Amino acid sequence: MALLLLLQSWSNWAPLVFVRDSKYGMPVVQSFHLMGLTILLATVLLLDLRLVGLGMNDYRLSWLARQLKPWTLGAFTVVISSGILMFLATPGKYLGSRPFRLKMALLCLALLFHFGVLRRFTAADSDARSRRVDVIVACFSLALWFGVGWAGRAIAFIP
Amino acid sequence: MSLFEWCQWLQHTRFATAISESDWLFPLIEGSHILALPLSVGMIVILDLHLLGIAFCDGPGRKLVLNLMRWCKIGFAVMFLTGGLLLVTQAGKAYGNAFFRAKLILLLLLGINAAAYQKVFFPKMAQWDSPTGAPAGAKFCAAFSLLLWIGVIVCGRTMAYQF
Repeated sequence: MALLLLLQSWSNWAPLVFVRDSKYGMPVVQSFHLMGLTILLATVLLLDLRLVGLGMNDYRLSWLARQLKPWTLGAFTVVISSGILMFLATPGKYLGSRPFRLKMALLCLALLFHFGVLRRFTAADSDARSRRVDVIVACFSLALWFGVGWAGRAIAFIP
Repeated sequence: MSLFEWCQWLQHTRFATAISESDWLFPLIEGSHILALPLSVGMIVILDLHLLGIAFCDGPGRKLVLNLMRWCKIGFAVMFLTGGLLLVTQAGKAYGNAFFRAKLILLLLLGINAAAYQKVFFPKMAQWDSPTGAPAGAKFCAAFSLLLWIGVIVCGRTMAYQF
């Protein structure tokens, strides 16, 4: 409750008021969120598809991972900045929301998994691993990242 | 019957109301429409960035096109299917919406742009090994595509605020 009061007083900061109350503030910030999401999840998808050999098979896995990395990080920065902006502009909409809590929990897991596990699997082109492990890793990665997306969408529909 | 009347009729058919009144069907369709973005638009953006020499510059573009297109087609199939269903449930509201109209025009331009690229530049892609060798026209198509897709996302998001 104290947190909500604190955040609500912050949300009266002029730039946040502009985002919240101007006619096109929210749609523009959300558009950035979607554009970032498009690139972020596209890079994750390509990496996971390549890991299991279902796409981008003409490229080496480690090469692809190196090429995608700056775009994953750049897109993530766009998504997180626009997300923080939305959160700070309308904290009341998110603090009590169950899908939002789920989204944040899944986001933490997705980040830990991405940098803790997936990156290790895509760093080298070793074919000593069993394919089964690659498939499990790719499925986990996709489930976590798209889970974040679905939980985010649910904020609008479920309290 | 005018197009507007037809849109209103469409929105009130049993099929359309069943979707919009369902607790889970509408969110499912709308969520799929948004989360198919990386698989459809995301793949095109990567190709555009390659042609412009910004990303994935090593290696021939033709190989990149062939590798991306298989999944991209599935992404766009999901997009058009879910987009069509969303339109059916909101046809009357969408008809007069300026952002929806703008989105349709941008999509039409994107279709023409993609068809032109496919016809004029794709057959020649074997002739250049890296994006530096791509003709100016191909780079123009890529820049045009990038800008239009940004417009589509902005219009798509903003139209919902006018309903």
